[in-house]
Amino acid sequence: MSAPLTRIAAAEDGVPAARPGSGRTGRWLRRAGRHRVALTLAFLLILPWIAPYQALAVTILVLGLYALGFNLLFGYTGLLSFGHAAFLGGGAYGCGIAIVRYGLHPVLALVAGTLLATLIAAAMGVLAIRTRGIYFAMTTLALSMCVYYGFYQAESFTGGENGLRGINVPSLTLPGLRLSLLDPIVKYYAVLAVVGLAVWLFSRLLSSPFGAALEAIRENESRAQACGYDVRRMKLVAFVLSGALCGLAGALQAIHLSIVPIETMHYSTSGQAVMMALLGGMGTFFGPFVGAATFALLQDGLATLTSHWQLFVGAIFIAFVLFLPLGIWGEVLARLRRAGW
Amino acid sequence: MTTGIDRRGLLRGSAAASALALAAPALLRSAAAQGAPIRIGFPVPLTGAFGAEANDQVRAAQLAIKEFNEAGGFQGRNAELIVRDDKLNPGEAAGRTLELIEKDKVNFLVGGLSAAVTLSINNVARERGVIYNSISQSDAINEAKDFGRTTFHEALNPHMTAGAVGRYVFPKSGKRVAFLSADYAYGHEMMRGFKRAGEASGIEVVADIRHPIGASDYSAFLPRIAALKPDVLCLCNFGRDQVVSIQQATEFGLKRTTKLVAPILLFTARKAGGDAFDGVIGGTSYYWRLEDSVPSAKAFNDRFRAAYGGAVPSDYGALGYAGVRSVLEGVKAAGSVETDKVVAAMETLKADFYKGPQSFRKCDHQLVQSVLIVESKSKGLKTPDDVFTILGTEGPDERFLRSCDELGHKA
Repeated sequence: MSAPLTRIAAAEDGVPAARPGSGRTGRWLRRAGRHRVALTLAFLLILPWIAPYQALAVTILVLGLYALGFNLLFGYTGLLSFGHAAFLGGGAYGCGIAIVRYGLHPVLALVAGTLLATLIAAAMGVLAIRTRGIYFAMTTLALSMCVYYGFYQAESFTGGENGLRGINVPSLTLPGLRLSLLDPIVKYYAVLAVVGLAVWLFSRLLSSPFGAALEAIRENESRAQACGYDVRRMKLVAFVLSGALCGLAGALQAIHLSIVPIETMHYSTSGQAVMMALLGGMGTFFGPFVGAATFALLQDGLATLTSHWQLFVGAIFIAFVLFLPLGIWGEVLARLRRAGW
Repeated sequence: MTTGIDRRGLLRGSAAASALALAAPALLRSAAAQGAPIRIGFPVPLTGAFGAEANDQVRAAQLAIKEFNEAGGFQGRNAELIVRDDKLNPGEAAGRTLELIEKDKVNFLVGGLSAAVTLSINNVARERGVIYNSISQSDAINEAKDFGRTTFHEALNPHMTAGAVGRYVFPKSGKRVAFLSADYAYGHEMMRGFKRAGEASGIEVVADIRHPIGASDYSAFLPRIAALKPDVLCLCNFGRDQVVSIQQATEFGLKRTTKLVAPILLFTARKAGGDAFDGVIGGTSYYWRLEDSVPSAKAFNDRFRAAYGGAVPSDYGALGYAGVRSVLEGVKAAGSVETDKVVAAMETLKADFYKGPQSFRKCDHQLVQSVLIVESKSKGLKTPDDVFTILGTEGPDERFLRSCDELGHKA
């Protein structure tokens, strides 16, 4: 599991394990790495002005957070999960049900959604962590489908096949502030405030000793164990944290779309996370947002142009995997480093 | 090499610029006289299992737009259809609806082809006060919980379709009835419609079997049903499930003892499914042979044939036409494109667009319309499109709808 990932580590900016580049480029990259949260946020701040429309920008934001959470487990800990749709969906349903059935304040609903996703992640994690490699992927896939059918059948809560409707949050009232979320730009920046907080926490987590230990597990699990780390517990914590981030993404998506379709929990949504992480560059800090933006823009743009969009999207993905195995952002970083003078 | 702008180029450029500046007000004036087009967003699943139906919906909707524009539009304003692919995915549909409202600034929305998708479009549209005329079957969209004052439902709903078929079949074919239903909202809604209709004729339910949606093997269910020898087997499923279950029921020889009934027989599904559908009875909102008895159907078919090389419109296609037309007629009647005025106009619209009289019920904006009972045939076809016999028509009547009270609408 860990052998093919070793290579990727070199593509990371600002992470202690990464090989520092030489010369001027290396200095620049290190400097950028120290300010990775600010740089990521700077990009996200201008995103709605360069995206084709604001609703798509919000979608990119949400998908980016989803891929970011997935990347914690995949890129940084080296565990490939095929069950992250359960966390995205759990967060979405948790938030949606809190608003529709219990009339909670949207901020509390976000917390409720994240909590539900965290619980699902803890339950799935305890079982899945016992396995490795392909078995881990299969176990997470199977467990997420159990969650899917559970939510599908709980029709009185989730709306079943018809999906959950009525998550209508026309405005957000905070102390001393009233925001109209029907205005797409206001909605974007409200969502960005939450995503920005999550990105900052994520960065803190990565630069903590815990983050370094996760990468140690990715690089060589036996050695990490020999160093005295409780590998199984750390994997579980990473799994749960990853689930919580994806759950927060789901909760934001529920408020963004005002509905939760049952498809959110489908395994194809888990596949999306893998795809976005690979497209952007796994194990890179900014990669998930690049992956999410590429994914969303490709799908959106091609679907508007032709009804055969699937053919082109497929071909483009294959090309990426063949020619840019490090992902877009991973490749950019690797080239900058190689060109270092 | 000369770089930059030379004097001659500058002169030419400034001449062109001043000409444009002089002409601009004139250009703007003529644009204003034309008026901004009335934009109708049309999200349908161009890709996915119902691509054929969706493409027919687009073609028919374009016809309604063309008619409107050829008749002079509304106060010099033409109508324009903005088609988006919702990929049969409610999340995608919600995103596309946001795009249509926020970026394309559509005046109205028509479309949807699946209960989950139509409910999702409806939720986004009603929150933003944009009129949405749904052309997809759904019972939930009538209920107070999902209804908004801008919600309209041009399509039939499962309750009235299954009800009409039940009221036709049960008195004629017998009272021992078996159900084979897809286990999800739509299957349950259909079954409820059948059972409600059956109460009147005193049916006896001998079997009530649910199958998972998307099942490909019905051999576990069909022998049990065959052993009971029911008079009628109601197949409450849709799309591919319907085709496969009917094919397998035919192979099990069920047709010898039992009348097969499907709540909705799709024109496109029948053409794809072939002979297996022989003798199956079902309901539909529209079938092109209605032209033999209804003049407006004849006129609609003729226009469609002329526009699309002799093809006839499908049932869902016709809904695309009617859905767009209802909104545009509403604009004409209201003398405005303002939401409130158009809503009021559509509520009182009494029309005959393509299938006989139709009007929206006030409380839930469900279109009160006729339901056709058709039987599938494969012999003696006049043309390859001649695949059904119209057995009967249940005329438009509010009695066949669930009452406003039951749906939770306060009087």
